[in-house]
Amino acid sequence: MAGIRMWTLGLCAALAAGPAALAQTPGVTADSIKIGSFGPITGANYLYGKLAMNGVEVAFDEVNKQGGIHGRKLTLVREDDRCDPATAIAAVKKLIFQEQVFAISGGGCSNSAVAARDEVERAAVPWVVFAAVHDGITTPPAPTIFSTALTSSIESAAQVEFAVSQGAKRIAILSMRDSWGRARYAPLMEAFKKKGITPVADEEISPDANDATPQVLRLRQANPDAVILVVYPKPAAIFLRDATKFAFKPLTIGQSAIADPAAFEEQVALPGATSNFVTISQVRFSPSDPEMEKWRTAIEAKFPGDRLSVFNMFGIGSAQALMAALRAAGPDLTREKFVAAMAGLKDVKTDTYGGLITCSTTDHRCNKAPAWLKKEPGGPVKLVAVTPVE
Amino acid sequence: MLGYLVLSGITTGALYALVALGVVIVFKATGTVNFAHGDLFMIGGFLAFTFHVLMGLPYLVALALAVAAGFGIGILTDRIAFRPLMRANLVSLVLATVGFSFILKGIARSVWGGKADLFAFPPLISPDPIFLGPLIIIPQQLVAIGGAALVMGAFAAFFRLTRIGKMMQATADNPKAATLVGIRTDRVYMYAFGVGAAVAASAAVLMAPLTLLYPDIGFVLFIKGFAAAVLGGLSSLPGAVVGGLVVGVVEALAGGYINSSFLEVSAFVVIMVVLVLRPTGLFGATAVRRV
Amino acid sequence: MSRLLGRRTLLALGVAALAAVPTFANPYVVFVGNQLMLYVILAVGLNILVGYAGQLAFANAAMFGIGAYGTGLLQVHFGVPYYAAAPAGALLAMLIGLAMAWPALRLSGLYLALATLAFAQFTLWVFLHWESVTFGAGGFKVPPPSFAPLPLPSNLGIYYLSLLAMAALVAIAWNVVRSRIGRAFVAIRDGEVAAQALGIDLFRYKAIAFGMSGLYAGIAGALHSALLNYVSPEGFDLFQMVLHKAMIVVGGLGSLAGSVVGATTLTLILEALREFKSTQEIAFGALLLVFVIFMPDGIVAALKQRLQGWEEPLRRVRGRPGAAAGAEARP
Repeated sequence: MAGIRMWTLGLCAALAAGPAALAQTPGVTADSIKIGSFGPITGANYLYGKLAMNGVEVAFDEVNKQGGIHGRKLTLVREDDRCDPATAIAAVKKLIFQEQVFAISGGGCSNSAVAARDEVERAAVPWVVFAAVHDGITTPPAPTIFSTALTSSIESAAQVEFAVSQGAKRIAILSMRDSWGRARYAPLMEAFKKKGITPVADEEISPDANDATPQVLRLRQANPDAVILVVYPKPAAIFLRDATKFAFKPLTIGQSAIADPAAFEEQVALPGATSNFVTISQVRFSPSDPEMEKWRTAIEAKFPGDRLSVFNMFGIGSAQALMAALRAAGPDLTREKFVAAMAGLKDVKTDTYGGLITCSTTDHRCNKAPAWLKKEPGGPVKLVAVTPVE
Repeated sequence: MLGYLVLSGITTGALYALVALGVVIVFKATGTVNFAHGDLFMIGGFLAFTFHVLMGLPYLVALALAVAAGFGIGILTDRIAFRPLMRANLVSLVLATVGFSFILKGIARSVWGGKADLFAFPPLISPDPIFLGPLIIIPQQLVAIGGAALVMGAFAAFFRLTRIGKMMQATADNPKAATLVGIRTDRVYMYAFGVGAAVAASAAVLMAPLTLLYPDIGFVLFIKGFAAAVLGGLSSLPGAVVGGLVVGVVEALAGGYINSSFLEVSAFVVIMVVLVLRPTGLFGATAVRRV
Repeated sequence: MSRLLGRRTLLALGVAALAAVPTFANPYVVFVGNQLMLYVILAVGLNILVGYAGQLAFANAAMFGIGAYGTGLLQVHFGVPYYAAAPAGALLAMLIGLAMAWPALRLSGLYLALATLAFAQFTLWVFLHWESVTFGAGGFKVPPPSFAPLPLPSNLGIYYLSLLAMAALVAIAWNVVRSRIGRAFVAIRDGEVAAQALGIDLFRYKAIAFGMSGLYAGIAGALHSALLNYVSPEGFDLFQMVLHKAMIVVGGLGSLAGSVVGATTLTLILEALREFKSTQEIAFGALLLVFVIFMPDGIVAALKQRLQGWEEPLRRVRGRPGAAAGAEARP
């Protein structure tokens, strides 16, 4: 009996939902556009999801306050993927088929974004990636998927390029063997091969390491001029501390996971340990930079207790690129028009990214300008260079 | 190289040993393992951070407050996740503490998670390194090892010398007999959880300048601490300390001599081997039966 | 009333309802339904080991992973078709499960828990580091299996294959726990010494329990790899392990109906908790506590107090074996 009732309920619900959904472009009404987001909101990698989403939301708020885009206000629907591929697929399916969002702004972890790609591609929903870096998300390009994050091959190539430009002959690697680290490691080895260089040492460290003495001793034996770090801030800080203990101070080259040299210096907490450290940021400012005042206030007002972080800034930049395309797509918004507008983005300036955002129909990696940041101990964070990579 | 590796292994090992100590204290009294123990470490660290860095209280005051708060949260763990379940089976008990661990992590993420990705806890004494021949020593490491030794000594004394310590021993040995001689075992359980959490909090305050703080620091530490505790026999305090040091040194040696990619897994391989050869750990009683 | 709500009827109704889901639900609901079926298989397998045989093992997620990796890698490296790769992957998990029975002979309680936990961490390490075979941390894509002569797209094919597997595996488990083997499991759980005194071969029955739960997890893994068309280490970590444990405890240890109810409850809870966004961890933890504290013997035990016809073999044996006959769980 109960079964039959459930059946009827289910059918009614399906019928009721049907006509409304068919009416026009999903997620778009006369005065609103529904954007979905997925990424880690809980779990150890929440920085890459939750905080980036917070950034997207304050960027949306700013535009909404000025009347929205072509009279439509933007709303954000968040879904958690815990960095787990199965959960990410469920999240994306929910956004597309249940929430019926117009487009997706999200993707925090490499593997879950790669796993979700097929689903998004099949449904032809536009997706602008804000933090996940795996090359496989945008290469080969899927028609509706774009990335405003620096993809891993771009950063890895830039790291090798930078080491060589500083005159390093003997280059070593310290990397993490998780999905994030491996997404960067493979293109890093490619970049080495292209330059005809063989790394003199290749060591591994865990994201939760509390000691890097074995790695430091092994690397020191290889006597490198430069060490390329493919690790998160925690193991990087432990490494630099232990390296300093052994007076081992090669040029140390970070990447965008360690995007805030000011915070990093505090984490290492050993005077002078970071003096040979330089890192890439997707964004051209440190969160404490005076230029970021507007966004600092916005984040602190909307999320009491929070402080502006680089992950917020990833979201802000990505959302601004997405909104530029929404504006360009015109008032009669369809997914096709939006995708065309994304592909046509040229030299879009955002408040946070290091370089201008440019996409094309053949290359959906829209951010190719790693910004090099350095902080002399005690001094301010300085933008060393922005090296566009092709 | 061997010397350096052993030294660094002992520093990490001291951390594992402190975590293992808390695990053993709870196990000895209650016969269960608190899977939220690592998260008590984490919360203790964040509370100390809040008192010391955000509110500007002196280090020792912050330490005392964090340890007291840890004790309180430990008692809360007992009330919420252990006492209602005393008669339930081990799986349910374990699951209850896992649930508690999710709650603590979630709270930490919502309270502190938006402030920074990693929290740098300022070192207790000057961060300037000490030069010792070719080796440079970070003073905080000495503080951590010394502090760990102090905490371990204090607990050895606590179990030997104090009334409640002796009652905990008695309850662990034979709860029924303990009840018969008038020990209120539920009190003992409560104190065990409280004391275990207080150890975790003090460990966090000692170690946070070295490990940095983040909401997910607890679980990995707990796994290593649990491993150290089991290696030492789960019910032996000296065993926990030895277990912790063994895990730390094995990791450092495997990482230094074999390959750095073996560092993480070496402890688990050692544990599998030890448990197959000695099913109750290195220092465990030979006839542990708790079915 | 009691007849209509009998366990058999309910299970049949459940299978029928699941079979009908794809006809009206959106792909998200179908996906969650498919995950639910895999979790039922996992929970039933784990409950045999933990709930019936009383072995506190923590390697179920690793077995799940071994099944998925085995299936996926055979397809990718050797071009083995899915129909051959899936059983091979499941068998691999079963063999490794069998091998675990040997250390389990000497270990009990928390020592066994840690030994199996260490094994699970070791397995993850192999997935991450044996890159020439497992493709390391980045995982690998698996081709969607084709159900050629049948007019089914790959995702629906997997859905119905999962339904078939779930129904068959639940039915098999039902028959096993009612047999000598099931009684031997319970005897071991309730006291190894006593069980031996009854002439029960500990090694043999522990091996059967570990092997069965390995096989169930392996089958779920084989289906999982085809459901996602992607295999990577993240899906087989300790969170997954906690989830499986939670399912059997929330549903009811030592109860097959409990495994089904627990898997369903937790899958639905996880999806429902999505609405809590960043506080869902807290809500999940709190719910686990509430379930364990207020229904210490699981949902099924709580139901049993209210409903008749819920006696399960070996939990409360009554003189009416016919009433508790196996689940006619066929689509």
